[in-house]
Amino acid sequence: MKVSYVLGLCLILVSRMVFADAVQQTTYITFPSLNKPPKYQEDVLAIYGAINHQAISPLFKAYQEKYPNVAIHYTESNTRHLYEQFISQPNVRPDVMLSPAMDLQFKLANDGYALAYDSPELSNVPKDSHWRNELFGFTYEPIVTALNSDILAGEALPLSREQLLNLIRSKNHLLDDKIGLFDIQQSGLGYLAWAYDGQQSRSYGRLLEAFGTHQARLYTDTSSMLNALLKGQIFIAYNLVGAYSYQWSQKYAWIKTIMPTDYTTIIMRTAFIPRDAQQPTLAKRFIDLLLSPEGQHILANQSGITPISTKVKGPYSRDELSKLPHGIFRPIPLGLELLIQTDDAKKQLIYHEWDNAMFTVPNDSSALP
Amino acid sequence: MAKATTSIRRQLILMVATVLIVINVVALWSAHIYANRAAKESYDRLLYGSALQMAENINILDSQFFIDLPVSAFETLALSTSDRAFYSIMNGQYQVLTGYKDLPNIPFTQLLQQSSEKEKFIPIYYEAMYRGETVRFVALGKRLLEADSVNDVFIIVGQTLDARRAAATEISQMALQFVTLFFFITLLLLLFVIWRVLQPLQAIKQAITERSPQELSPLEANVPSEIAPLLKSINYFMAQLDNTLSRLKRFTAEAAHQIRTPLAGLNSQAQNALDETDEVLRQKQLQHILESSNVLTNTVNQLLSRATLTHRYQSHPFSPVSLDHVTKETCRELVVWALEQQVEIEYLGDIQVTINGDEFALKQMLQNIIENAIKYSPKGSVVEVELMVMDELSETSVVLQIRDQGIGVPDQDKEHIFEYFYRSPDNFASGSGIGLSIAKEVAEHHDARFHLKDNQPTGLIVEVIFPQRKGLSYES
Repeated sequence: MKVSYVLGLCLILVSRMVFADAVQQTTYITFPSLNKPPKYQEDVLAIYGAINHQAISPLFKAYQEKYPNVAIHYTESNTRHLYEQFISQPNVRPDVMLSPAMDLQFKLANDGYALAYDSPELSNVPKDSHWRNELFGFTYEPIVTALNSDILAGEALPLSREQLLNLIRSKNHLLDDKIGLFDIQQSGLGYLAWAYDGQQSRSYGRLLEAFGTHQARLYTDTSSMLNALLKGQIFIAYNLVGAYSYQWSQKYAWIKTIMPTDYTTIIMRTAFIPRDAQQPTLAKRFIDLLLSPEGQHILANQSGITPISTKVKGPYSRDELSKLPHGIFRPIPLGLELLIQTDDAKKQLIYHEWDNAMFTVPNDSSALP
Repeated sequence: MAKATTSIRRQLILMVATVLIVINVVALWSAHIYANRAAKESYDRLLYGSALQMAENINILDSQFFIDLPVSAFETLALSTSDRAFYSIMNGQYQVLTGYKDLPNIPFTQLLQQSSEKEKFIPIYYEAMYRGETVRFVALGKRLLEADSVNDVFIIVGQTLDARRAAATEISQMALQFVTLFFFITLLLLLFVIWRVLQPLQAIKQAITERSPQELSPLEANVPSEIAPLLKSINYFMAQLDNTLSRLKRFTAEAAHQIRTPLAGLNSQAQNALDETDEVLRQKQLQHILESSNVLTNTVNQLLSRATLTHRYQSHPFSPVSLDHVTKETCRELVVWALEQQVEIEYLGDIQVTINGDEFALKQMLQNIIENAIKYSPKGSVVEVELMVMDELSETSVVLQIRDQGIGVPDQDKEHIFEYFYRSPDNFASGSGIGLSIAKEVAEHHDARFHLKDNQPTGLIVEVIFPQRKGLSYES
């Protein structure tokens, strides 16, 4: 707890403002224009994103090399918070909105908040990675499970959800309070991945039960979950964004990243230009860069995020991803199917199930076989 | 020359093209309407399907609505990949249970009516503007039954129109392609047919052009029955032309001959007169020269008058002519000359007749006939000219008779007498030989019949019968 408090302090130093609510940390970062001193008034491109600023900054750098007179104001926050801010503050909307919460992004586009832009770079990316020339998918990322190999104690790595359930059962109380999950009520991405699991798998109910019985811890973002994993606060982290998890696996040998072999959910980070963007032209240039071979190459090589384009080469390209052990790739379709994830009634049902499982204290351990 | 009216080919092509264009435009228009309806119906079904799937998953338990919308409902909507979709589920009090809270123009009255009628709910389709776009909505009710209560919920699903428009455009474009192809194929076929049908005309033209100007024999060509009358007319005309042409040739040859003979006579008589020493004989010979010269003058005059008449036929329209007046005048003009020949002219008849005709030509006719009669009359005889009305077979006609008491014309010569320069072998009187033929031509030009009869005891009656027709009037 102390460590996270210190981390919080650091964030205060980096950012100009941090919400009092620790759950909705928002970081503001300015990337000043490259013209020093600026000869004339510099343009500002405002971007809201749920991408780690270290991961996205190579792309900003490339953008500013092309357009040196542009400063970028990046607001990084959790997906749900970004969505709510977008809805509630119509006067301060960004020029570009980046988020992996496909359902929330889609809802905004469907509701007419997105500006249509026929980007010339759309030919570089697959046809089903954009919707109506309003919402542009630019990454192709697996949802993974990460675990601390210490918990295995010599046992084989669980490759599928079924094997993961078996592991949880066999370790039983060792895993009490040691499983990390996204708080689906706080994280848009967490809700999306969890709801999609509900559509796909029969093991969903049993997973939920197992998580509930072991009092899984809830996190709002991938980084804090990975931190917890690193520090041994948790042993298993379910439904993480692959990109960050793989990076940590490379750094710390005992953290294993698994793409479940029964099926592997794939999400796209999406971008759109709000209709009331202040700088639509700058925003369009940013979308062009994002989808261009150059931008996609930066993602695959510098950001450590698998890009949507199949043509790009690099350590994090789609080619390399498919060489790792994985199940059937199940990309979440970028289309009207996503509306179901935003349905209030559906959400209440899922929250209800979730709350029942998570916040009911198990009467005894005999609930487990 | 007659001005050529628009060519048949061009008219046919124009008409065919117009008809084709009209047909094709109508076809395209219907295809467009059909395409729109087809697209509308198929996408309405998708919309309805989606609403049904949503309805399927709405239940009620202990007065609590239990809504678990299926993914398939949204997957159905997602079939139109580029359309926005909106939905809302409401209870009977129009409270939104889930979905969009501000959908426009919801047909509450109709839904309520269906609800109160307790009948099966039928989908209501409508269009409305929502979030800046036209949206097609379906509103559907569902009755939820519990033991002690009945609750209705309303499902409203809407989608923008892009996919419909795209589908309609696709069908329309296919129709357009088909119609264009059809248009050009039909046009080509019809052009071929037109060419084929007009081919005989072309053939006739070709046949005529290839002929030498002298060749006037009938055209031989196989033509369709519609063109046959034309060919027949052409052939008839050519026969006429051939006839006229040969007559003209003969006339010219005869005229030349007729002029050359008296000239040769004149020549030799003049020579003789020069050589003659006897004054009395020379006087006689000079007299002969004068007579021959008169004959020649007469012949040339006749030829000229005929040429004049031919010209008049073509250029002068008819006008009312008082026939009795013309006849009397002609008689009066000729009476002196007749008396020199010791022949009397007697005009009989007291009727007044007006006909439609050419006064000059009629006068020429009378002159020629009367002169002829005088010429062949023995000295001391009378030429009778009579104008009378004849009733015959309920037809009233005016008859003009010129009777002489000369030797008459034998029957075998009667049919030849009108030929140019025909002279009876026994005829010794001087004459050009074209007077009567001119007279006959004038008569025929006035639609009158021209007869030769024998007079009693001897002599010839020339009878011209003007039939009753418009323009003829008389009084006794």
